[in-house]
Amino acid sequence: MLLDAQLCYAGMNQAYLDVTHRRREELLGKPVLQEYDAGPGEEAAENNRQLAASFEKVLTTGQSDHLAVLHYPIPIQNAEGETIYDNRYWSATHTPIKDESGRVTHILQHTTDITELERLRRQVARLRPEETTSALDSLIGGGMFRRAMSVQADNRRLETERRQLMDMFMQTPGFVAVLNGPQHVIQLHNGSYGQLIGHRDVLGKPIREALPELAGQGYYDCLDDVLATGEPFQGRQSPVQLQQTPNGSLTTRYLNFIYQPIRNDAGEIIGIFVQGHDVTETVVAAERQKLMIDELNHRVKNTLATVQSIAMQTARSHDDPRTFAETFQSRILSLSHTHDLLTRSHWEGADLREVLEHETTAHGLHRLTLNGPNVALDPAMAVSLGMIFHELATNAAKYGALTPGEGRVLVDWSVADLNNPQLAIQWREMGGPAVAPPERRGFGSRLIERNVRHDLAGAVQLHYRDDGLTAEITIPLNKEAA
Amino acid sequence: MTIALQGRRVLVIEDESLVAMLLETILEDMGCVVVGPESNIDDGLIAATGEASLDAALLDVNVAGREVFPVAEALRARGVPFVFSTGYGEAGLPEHWRGHPTIQKPFTEGAIRDALMKAMNISLV
Repeated sequence: MLLDAQLCYAGMNQAYLDVTHRRREELLGKPVLQEYDAGPGEEAAENNRQLAASFEKVLTTGQSDHLAVLHYPIPIQNAEGETIYDNRYWSATHTPIKDESGRVTHILQHTTDITELERLRRQVARLRPEETTSALDSLIGGGMFRRAMSVQADNRRLETERRQLMDMFMQTPGFVAVLNGPQHVIQLHNGSYGQLIGHRDVLGKPIREALPELAGQGYYDCLDDVLATGEPFQGRQSPVQLQQTPNGSLTTRYLNFIYQPIRNDAGEIIGIFVQGHDVTETVVAAERQKLMIDELNHRVKNTLATVQSIAMQTARSHDDPRTFAETFQSRILSLSHTHDLLTRSHWEGADLREVLEHETTAHGLHRLTLNGPNVALDPAMAVSLGMIFHELATNAAKYGALTPGEGRVLVDWSVADLNNPQLAIQWREMGGPAVAPPERRGFGSRLIERNVRHDLAGAVQLHYRDDGLTAEITIPLNKEAA
Repeated sequence: MTIALQGRRVLVIEDESLVAMLLETILEDMGCVVVGPESNIDDGLIAATGEASLDAALLDVNVAGREVFPVAEALRARGVPFVFSTGYGEAGLPEHWRGHPTIQKPFTEGAIRDALMKAMNISLV
């Protein structure tokens, strides 16, 4: 009897039809497991399961399987039209038939009806119960039959173990697959492997057909090498481009895996065992960490260079070490305050009002009026504006409206043009001593002008008026668009 | 003042104004004339290709999140010598640019002078 890969009848000879009391046209194309069951009785379910398991084993391993003794009654209609069961014992061999690529396309079932042998043995045993093993018994094969039963019992036990191993294999969190023959036909794989390849139907297909996107990525050659040399291959954090969604673009995954050759009893390499883990998350996390360390290093070194610059420029305008130390320290502290603000938001940014408050509270809150909407500043803008406000406030405290007296500072800001947002800030001092443009531009005013123009791509105007200094600053909030 | 560098026109590309001001001060002390400083790659490219007379350049590697190498290529094509400045030192340069004169932040005046002279192939006898 011949079955196709879906376990449907593909053909049978007359002897099979005679024994089963069926007609060929009834059976062709029908699933064998539907057409037959093991009839009544306690062992029926187990017998059915054994038969199905044997077919499945042949399909997945591509190797013959034997059932030494199978109790499988044949349903027949008696004269009254009732179904009765004709108790029969079989010995069956299931042989795979493969196509060129090694895929199992059919299963040939060869059965021997050993019912008569079993009946004869039972008769003898009834007639001579005292002789467990008579000469006749051994002559007609009773001993052989018993041995066959015991082999079959062993087979059942092995089958159970095989099934348990297979379950472990299928459920392991790593991916697992077995490739067969020179074309690396995917014989079986577990759920993790299925997930990795986007749950495509690849069983029974050669790897080049099953996973065509691997072309040019080195994996085919590697498999060919393992098969040719018998040397296992180990991949570590190996990048692979995979089609994980139908018609989607390829995604990069990183895999730790091993290709282990599978040998037959004669020691020949017949396939490859593939086993591994998707370590993409680990690789991505390590890359992110490296990026962060590089970024940290960049910021630290740039900050040190900034501090170096502040030291050098401050030194040039202070001959007295005491006033140098004072001015230098206050500039460094201002920088440090802005960093504190940014650290609170994990360096995502800071609000303009917060930056302003940070730099001006030391001069007395009642003397400053801050008025404007919330404006989110990116870290670089926050650092620049922090330094700018520090210079303005220090200057006001030294020469302007924040010197002891009644002077005040009004800071107003607004955002105009929402398509290309511009932040306009006005720093207006009043009520302080009259100011005049400095004769020599000091570091403070140079810092303000350079910072606005260079770092913020904006514009600044400083007006030294009789009633106090006014600074007007405009900055594009979206530097990319500017 | 360094006689060998006196009057040399040096393009500076550096995104942070305070660092740019430091470079400017150091270069001016050495007698150089600073071109720029430019704070982004686009303006840097315009200066690198458009400035009529350039003797050398100081290039920050990471300029506002972008790498300065297009500017380096443009200068090389013109035959203008240049020095990289970076927080990472030479190890932060890609393979292609390894061995090129590089100064590491924070700077010293001596390191800038030596790197510039090495790039310009000037040696003091």
